[in-house]
Amino acid sequence: MTVSATDRASAMHDDTVAVTVPPERRRSALRQGSRWVAFGFAAPLLVYLVAFYAYPLIRSIDLSIHDYNVRAFVQGDAEFVGLQNYIDVVSAPLFGKALLNTAIFVIGSLVFQYAIGLALAVFFRNSFRLSGVLRALFLVPWLLPLIVSGSTWAWMLNSDNGIVNAALQAFGIGQINWLTSPDTAMTAVVIANIWLGIPFNLVILYAGLQNIPADVYEAAALDGAGAWRQFWSITFPLLRPVSAITLLLGLVYTLKVVDIIWIMTAGGPANATTTLAIWSYREAFGTGQPDLSPAAAVGNILIVIALIFGFLYLRTQRRQEDS
Amino acid sequence: MITRKLRVPIAVAVAAVAAGALAGCAGSSDSGSSGSADTYTWWDPYPQHEEGSDWAERVQACGNEAGVTIERTAYDTTSLTNQALLSAQEGTSPDVILLDNPAVSTLADTGMLTTTEELGLDTSPIDKNLLAAGEIDGETYGIPIGANTLALYYNADILKDAGVDPASITDWASLDAALAGVTAAGHKGITFAGINTEEGSFQFLPWFWGAGADLTALDSPQAVEALELWTGWVKKGYAPNSVIGNSQNTTWEEFLTGDFAFAENGTWQVNSAAGADFATGIIELPALKGGVAPAPTGGEFIIAPVQKDTSRYDTTKRIIDCMTTAEGFVETADTFAYYIPPTSEGQEELLKEHPELETWVSAVQSAKGRTSDNLGTDYPLISEQLWTAVQSALSGAASPQEALAAAQAAAAEATGK
Amino acid sequence: MRRAWWKTLLGVVFTALMLFPVYWMFNVSLTKTRDLRLSPPHLFPIDPTFEGYAAVLSQQLPNLGTSLLIGLGCVVLTVVIAAPAAYAISLLNLRGGRPLNFILLVAQMIPAVVMAMGFYAIYVRLGLLNSVAGLILADTTIAVPFGVLLFTAFMSGLPRELLQAARIDGAGAWRVFVSVVMPLSRNSALTVALFAFLWAWSDFVFASTLARNSALKPITLGIYAYIGNNTTQWNAIMATAVVASIPAAILLIVAQRYVAAGVTAGAVKD
Repeated sequence: MTVSATDRASAMHDDTVAVTVPPERRRSALRQGSRWVAFGFAAPLLVYLVAFYAYPLIRSIDLSIHDYNVRAFVQGDAEFVGLQNYIDVVSAPLFGKALLNTAIFVIGSLVFQYAIGLALAVFFRNSFRLSGVLRALFLVPWLLPLIVSGSTWAWMLNSDNGIVNAALQAFGIGQINWLTSPDTAMTAVVIANIWLGIPFNLVILYAGLQNIPADVYEAAALDGAGAWRQFWSITFPLLRPVSAITLLLGLVYTLKVVDIIWIMTAGGPANATTTLAIWSYREAFGTGQPDLSPAAAVGNILIVIALIFGFLYLRTQRRQEDS
Repeated sequence: MITRKLRVPIAVAVAAVAAGALAGCAGSSDSGSSGSADTYTWWDPYPQHEEGSDWAERVQACGNEAGVTIERTAYDTTSLTNQALLSAQEGTSPDVILLDNPAVSTLADTGMLTTTEELGLDTSPIDKNLLAAGEIDGETYGIPIGANTLALYYNADILKDAGVDPASITDWASLDAALAGVTAAGHKGITFAGINTEEGSFQFLPWFWGAGADLTALDSPQAVEALELWTGWVKKGYAPNSVIGNSQNTTWEEFLTGDFAFAENGTWQVNSAAGADFATGIIELPALKGGVAPAPTGGEFIIAPVQKDTSRYDTTKRIIDCMTTAEGFVETADTFAYYIPPTSEGQEELLKEHPELETWVSAVQSAKGRTSDNLGTDYPLISEQLWTAVQSALSGAASPQEALAAAQAAAAEATGK
Repeated sequence: MRRAWWKTLLGVVFTALMLFPVYWMFNVSLTKTRDLRLSPPHLFPIDPTFEGYAAVLSQQLPNLGTSLLIGLGCVVLTVVIAAPAAYAISLLNLRGGRPLNFILLVAQMIPAVVMAMGFYAIYVRLGLLNSVAGLILADTTIAVPFGVLLFTAFMSGLPRELLQAARIDGAGAWRVFVSVVMPLSRNSALTVALFAFLWAWSDFVFASTLARNSALKPITLGIYAYIGNNTTQWNAIMATAVVASIPAAILLIVAQRYVAAGVTAGAVKD
């Protein structure tokens, strides 16, 4: 099939020259039919989206524009308060800190997850003995329920009986209170989150690398380009669309992260690891008195932040396609 | 081509899923409603007691006595409150819930619980201090099935080695002296839970109340003194840094290593203490100036959510009655090692079986519900600020004074008082 | 030959570093409760106990089967929903394809807890509570938007001449999809399948809210048998995780081999 593609392409050219039907009419006729066909293919997804996402999203917005104290939640008679919840949330003293923590957490995680994932993907690109098995093993962290991986990290980073501190002490470095000091708690959760994110980046970037044909590299090697040069001139640019989507999805997922931080520090100490997502979760489920409306407001703010980055992504994608 | 190879299996799989979905729809017995006339739904926070365990059998037995089958679902305790709220919203509340006592007022406030009066339950034999957690504005919303509380476990071997006599620990000064003694002898002092969740507040309250502080004034000098006790311990090295993130379970694990002289923990570890490598004992938590510090009560209440079909209440009452007899309380106590029965009759029965629980019974009698003093739904808001302040001070982010002042301000704002 | 050997060694080192926490989990699973908090900690379980594994093997094996069933069901459903839609967006010029991509992004931002609460209300009315099928359906919401985005990204990179060639041959859109597009998208299909499986496997929120009383519980719920009110049996929990990882890890290794074989699929030139 691959060989004859080029043959067919040339044959097609001959066809269009010979046919007398004006090309625009022919194109639009094709498009008319194909529009419905396209819709048919997308229909299951559309139904699915409306059924399963529209309702929770509407509910989340509804929660945020009413005052849902616990009583109103059960009785269903919440007072409409417009944007008051949003104003309260944004003007709360915790908002600035949570926003900053979120930025640090996200940027720190993404940069390292992506860099390490990419490095590993390039490392695994040309298969060697055991590469398939090793690559599969990299995904094992994702098999573990988050309560297990979160707890394991919390144990390893324990100030007094954690293995990390024991190892550091063997090297002469003093005890670091990873999870109990406001200065290092954020670093600790970022490290754990990077660990969790490497498989995702590795798998997608690796698959992306596989789609770059080998002869491009061969040609470059023939031209005398070394490995480093090959990476920057070939791999990186050709990976751009895959990198973009990996980073965008990574951003969306990291913005949402709750479990790993919650298990390790529950947002503490002293709100040092309270991100917007943790704040939202804590308001709704972390205290004895669920405070659902502010929680929904913070959650929706997170969605807006993600949307902004989504817009940026679309803009870059459009520019790429136009160029 | 791979697609051809996969196409048949995919089709089969899709068909299987579809068939499974249909079967699931048809066969799903629990449609979320409160059950049929013969099935009563029961939720409790004991997932470690699965089907076939003694507890599950006991629940079924009470159901059989009342003439119905009980369908029991076990949640982890942190999800149970929210699940209960969710189901109340949808009108699919279960018939009986066993709920952690501080959460009872939260549910009661929403109007989704029946009062004990409505069900015709007799709460007069229940100890007042234990019933108070379920009392709001004069109405009682459930019955405690037992209570546990905190005390100070000690490692007898370490104390002997350091020459400390546990009977001499009667107030904070003597406790400090004991800690100094054991650390001088090369052991670790004390461990407790300072985590920023309800468990942290739970463990801090005996010291808080023991100093004479009150939950409506988090920044009183007594409160500051209590917090300074803890921060002092960490600073002097009597308590490890890990207390800042310790849950009660972690605290106990630390104690079991045999390195620590003292651990603040609860009734539920009695059996584990008996099985430890070293000799253990307990003393009641001392108050600042001497005497026993009031400790908070743990343990669940048995509550009955409002049902659309009020004729169910008769059977619900019978089920609850079955669970709350004196023998019933003792059985519960044994299952949960050890919930002290909330009635004096039950307590006597328990002591006949287990005379070694004398100290615990005494501790529970001096204990206090967290939501009592009509704090009700204010308690969770205050508690959140309290554990935040404790963790702030312990981690050095703020001084005890500042942390508690901030906590009081936030709590006052949250409760509107 | 020498180069490959060096790479293998390095690969093993990297993998070992990455999997150290997993090793630690295994270490804890064999540790007695009283040795859990030893300071300094032991790198190997000096005084091992098998009580955790005994508990798991006697109680959790059905849950493992359920998790496997849910994972595989989720994979099938995700691919069935996502692949055709991505085909429509990328290759059939679906009207509103770009806004749809956008909506999918928003869809992924909704916190799982909010989704679960919404589903509870829907499932109560549909009678899907506490059923495996309902849980499979709920778990697909984790992977479907991702699946569509990934498929779209890969499919839009496919050479148009191939598709037009097939069209010229008289193939309808469906035929093109099944015979041309899907085989070429095998890499992305396996990637999506991988993630759908892994996400469904480790899901807790949906299982907890929607299937607590199901006769068949996934392993993430089964773990709570070891978490009491105030006490937790960590070696059993870790043992559960270890035992649960083994079949899934085997599945992963097999799947990776599928991707590795015929790595040049997706390349158009000969």
